[in-house]
Amino acid sequence: MKQTLKMYLSVFQDELIKTKAFIFKNWIMAKRNLFAIFEVIFWPLISFLSVGLLSDFINLSPSMKGFILIGVIAMSTIQVCQLDVAYVLLYDMWSKALKHSFVAPIGMRHLFIGSTIVGIIRGGAVFFILSFLSKIIFKFDALVPSFKVNFLFLLALFLNSAIIGILVSILVLTVGYKAEVAAWSLVSLMFLVCGIYYPVSVLPDWIRNLAELLPLTYFLEYYRKFYGFQPCYDNLLLKGYTMIFFYLFCESVLMKWAIKKAKRNGMLIKLSE
Amino acid sequence: MDSAVELREIYKTYVQGIFKKKKKEALKGINLKIPSGSIWGILGPNGAGKTTLISIIAGLIYPDRGRVYVLGKELPFCLDQIYKKINISSGHANFLWSLTVKENLDFYAMLYGLSGKKREKKIDQLLDLFSLREYRDTRFEELSTGTKQRLSLAKAFINDPDLILLDEPTVGLDPDTAISIREIILWFHKKKGATVVITTHNMAEAETLCDEVSFIFEGRIKIQGRPEDLKKILRLGDVVHIRFSGEAPDLRDIEGIIEIEISDSYMRVIVDDHKLRIPELIRRFLKNGTSVERIEIDEADLEDVFISFSR
Repeated sequence: MKQTLKMYLSVFQDELIKTKAFIFKNWIMAKRNLFAIFEVIFWPLISFLSVGLLSDFINLSPSMKGFILIGVIAMSTIQVCQLDVAYVLLYDMWSKALKHSFVAPIGMRHLFIGSTIVGIIRGGAVFFILSFLSKIIFKFDALVPSFKVNFLFLLALFLNSAIIGILVSILVLTVGYKAEVAAWSLVSLMFLVCGIYYPVSVLPDWIRNLAELLPLTYFLEYYRKFYGFQPCYDNLLLKGYTMIFFYLFCESVLMKWAIKKAKRNGMLIKLSE
Repeated sequence: MDSAVELREIYKTYVQGIFKKKKKEALKGINLKIPSGSIWGILGPNGAGKTTLISIIAGLIYPDRGRVYVLGKELPFCLDQIYKKINISSGHANFLWSLTVKENLDFYAMLYGLSGKKREKKIDQLLDLFSLREYRDTRFEELSTGTKQRLSLAKAFINDPDLILLDEPTVGLDPDTAISIREIILWFHKKKGATVVITTHNMAEAETLCDEVSFIFEGRIKIQGRPEDLKKILRLGDVVHIRFSGEAPDLRDIEGIIEIEISDSYMRVIVDDHKLRIPELIRRFLKNGTSVERIEIDEADLEDVFISFSR
């Protein structure tokens, strides 16, 4: 019994160390990269202030302004967090050191959990900074007075980010350098469809069908519900989280396929030379 | 003796282009057994398939056909178990540019599950062994090529591997650094008894380090064995240059003579082993009443083997 417990503890410790390696790597790379600092402060602030001031200029009602500010805060949070997840392989690709991670006894879970934790720290910082500024500058409280609701919404934003970041990583392994464009463009496409600045009801039918396939659609509706906006769908949390876990499962299968493919066609070595 | 690496009928073709029409056969039926505890060289010109071969052993490339066994386990199964016991270093060292030498080692040590004092101790040892202490807090992007290369090797030793794969470990280094790196490889091999697989262009390096070598050309292993045996097999031999005065003796019946060329008072004799044959050569000259003025010896090396294949 004691022996088994010791073994489990040792396995758990090993998992923690390997995950910590990727937190360590992403954290230091982000800390020393001026561009990464811009990602957290400069760009989110620019879009937040632009949208907020535009709302003031066109005299939007406080609730409509809130609708848009929730969108911009969610967008900025996801944008930063998903980049961190994608960076875990992009940094290796840019430094041509990809093969070293793939010849070590680690699993993809270590890479993605580690990088998502850094994403949560940076994305969380964006969320709280923008929420704070929203209250100060635009007199809109972006935090619902319920820990549970805020927690579930934030968690959903981070998991959505993980889905996009992992998708970018899958593309890195399948198409190589061309995939880096996806790190910045995939997320924008998602924002266009899932109703960041507008309810999905205004979208043409075929785009709305697409929006229904994106979990973020449901979480934005869920959060806005607490500000008096009538959602288009029911069972928002259930639908959203079920989709998230379904996509994460699909991605784990796709990632295995992508690694196999990268080892078959020599992509791993190509990206390390 | 157990095999650290065993490759059976390995084929690998790279397919390129949108319609997958461009095909490049990198390996064409490689069979190779590398005994445990040996230092094995893989030699060959650019594009011969050396890096593909070492990457297949590392599980970074899957072959199209054939079987790969590393440390007694078949790839690509049991990858996690194998990865705990192997490591790789490339001549063109690339690591995360913003991380310092210590941080890079920290990162890779964590990937192998090292933590706390154990990790610190290991990194301390490596910093000393590879003379990296003064660069401990220098970012990778600010290091010289030689220091980057030393870091790459330090990283490859971080898990005390049973099998270490070195892809052109001294390429682009100055002779002093290259020599010190070879010494470290030998020291590690002796201390740990690990199997070392090296790909190299440098024939002198292969001769200094390797117990056995495989020459790979156009995706096929053309010949393999101990460097000294290869020279014999290929009848490359040592060249003995003799300057003499008088009449040239007849040397054709001497055992181990491969080729003789005579012009005026100069004779060029190729022998299988100069240490064995020179006493008899001199005896023949003296018996013939011919005085030997000067003898020079050019020992055959792997360079000659390489050239003979390249032709």
